[in-house]
Amino acid sequence: MDRGRRALMLGAVGASAVISIRPALAQTAASVSNCEIPVPDPGRAGNYIALDGTVVPRNTPFAVPPPGRPFTGEEVKQAMRGGWLPGTNFYSNRAYMQYIRRLQRGTSGFTCFASMQMPNR
Amino acid sequence: MRYRTLLKIGPVGFRIGSDWRAPIAALDDLYRDYPRPDSDIADFTVRLFAARWWRRFLRPSVMIGGDYTIPDAAPLPLSMGLLAAEMGMNLQMALGHRRYLLVHASAVERDGRALLMTGMSGAGKSTLAALLTARGWRLMGDEFALIDPETGLVHAFPRLISLKNRAIDEVHSALPGGRVGPMLADTPKGDLRHLVPDARAIEAMMRPATPALLLFPAFGHALAERPVGRAETFVRLTQASTNFVLLGESGFTALSHLVNSVPVRAIDYPDTPGAIALVDRLWETLA
Amino acid sequence: MPVDLGELIALYHRPSARTHLVGSPVPEILDALGEEAMDTQQLLDALQRRYALDDADPQALAARLAELESVGLIRRA
Repeated sequence: MDRGRRALMLGAVGASAVISIRPALAQTAASVSNCEIPVPDPGRAGNYIALDGTVVPRNTPFAVPPPGRPFTGEEVKQAMRGGWLPGTNFYSNRAYMQYIRRLQRGTSGFTCFASMQMPNR
Repeated sequence: MRYRTLLKIGPVGFRIGSDWRAPIAALDDLYRDYPRPDSDIADFTVRLFAARWWRRFLRPSVMIGGDYTIPDAAPLPLSMGLLAAEMGMNLQMALGHRRYLLVHASAVERDGRALLMTGMSGAGKSTLAALLTARGWRLMGDEFALIDPETGLVHAFPRLISLKNRAIDEVHSALPGGRVGPMLADTPKGDLRHLVPDARAIEAMMRPATPALLLFPAFGHALAERPVGRAETFVRLTQASTNFVLLGESGFTALSHLVNSVPVRAIDYPDTPGAIALVDRLWETLA
Repeated sequence: MPVDLGELIALYHRPSARTHLVGSPVPEILDALGEEAMDTQQLLDALQRRYALDDADPQALAARLAELESVGLIRRA
């Protein structure tokens, strides 16, 4: 019955058979610039950062004051590998890193943070 | 802008404007043997400017701008103005160039055929390219290889070669006569020094070559080589290309042709002499 | 148009200007669909006529089709 047909497997339901190529824009930013990430973004300067990374008013309990200056991409990358952001302690490091991890496209610092995560960086 | 200069590197012309004289003077000095652009119609403009007027004088810091900019870019101190200019040119190419497919790779040529080396920052593409020029290879570029979608040829784009940290002394030993720029200590990428491409590279700047071997080098491991499948090569090159998506179908065609026509190896190396020997052997047998 | 890269096939999808790398059984599915609209069972039958299918599971085929639809390579008629 089999007229010499080639074997074909449809594959498992959960498997994937397509790799889509995404623009390497974030990698561009990394290789051509030293970029920085302000905490919080300039539009919300003066606010404090809660331990979960949200931006909160000044006197919110358990929130930490903002750092004096933006962090560079290199500093954040090093902190992501298990170091600490400069000038921080356990709590402020955690708060700032959570803020950074929550950055959305359009917020100051997002492109810098995204570029830190590209494999070729 | 107060101070300006024009540069032509391979097929691309740049106009560079600056609020300070020093970076322009450095460019004019290091690129002095390059042919002058024919007119002042530049493909791209780079602007080195002060974020606030007093930043021209007080702890002067250079913001990088031009036809294309990216958000969140941090300024560099004026002492690194030359680096800012080079980064500015990279930025214009990365975001705006569409004539050729750009691959983040170094390229050197021998007998009309080119060796391309691509990979992560720090893998050694620039260092190996510089060292190969001491052994008879012509430098085509250390940052971007320009692939013509219509012909498949690689075109030279020989900017100043960026050498970092240990590579600075290593290359100086191999090329004692090489012209270098100022020593820039503590840049975001460590100590950095630019090497000017030699007379041969400048003279041959407009001569393309046929890609003949593609390597993915990785520094810091025991000497090894392995073949890389075409699908893996294709994906890795899309990650190393800043304008693959922008170019649409012609980018796809150029990359497919490159992947299907050139042998590819991943090489690991613990030191540069080992790498050079491996490169020579692979070129002999595969290119 | 599709470019054979050994383990995978590279496709440039003009309408979306996107590049995808696809592995078996995607090229075979796209080829069997051709220009026609079919339902899952018809497609499964077409594939079985052309190939020796070890795992002729409509759910597996539906999963492949869902993925192709999500990247825009096929459209539900």
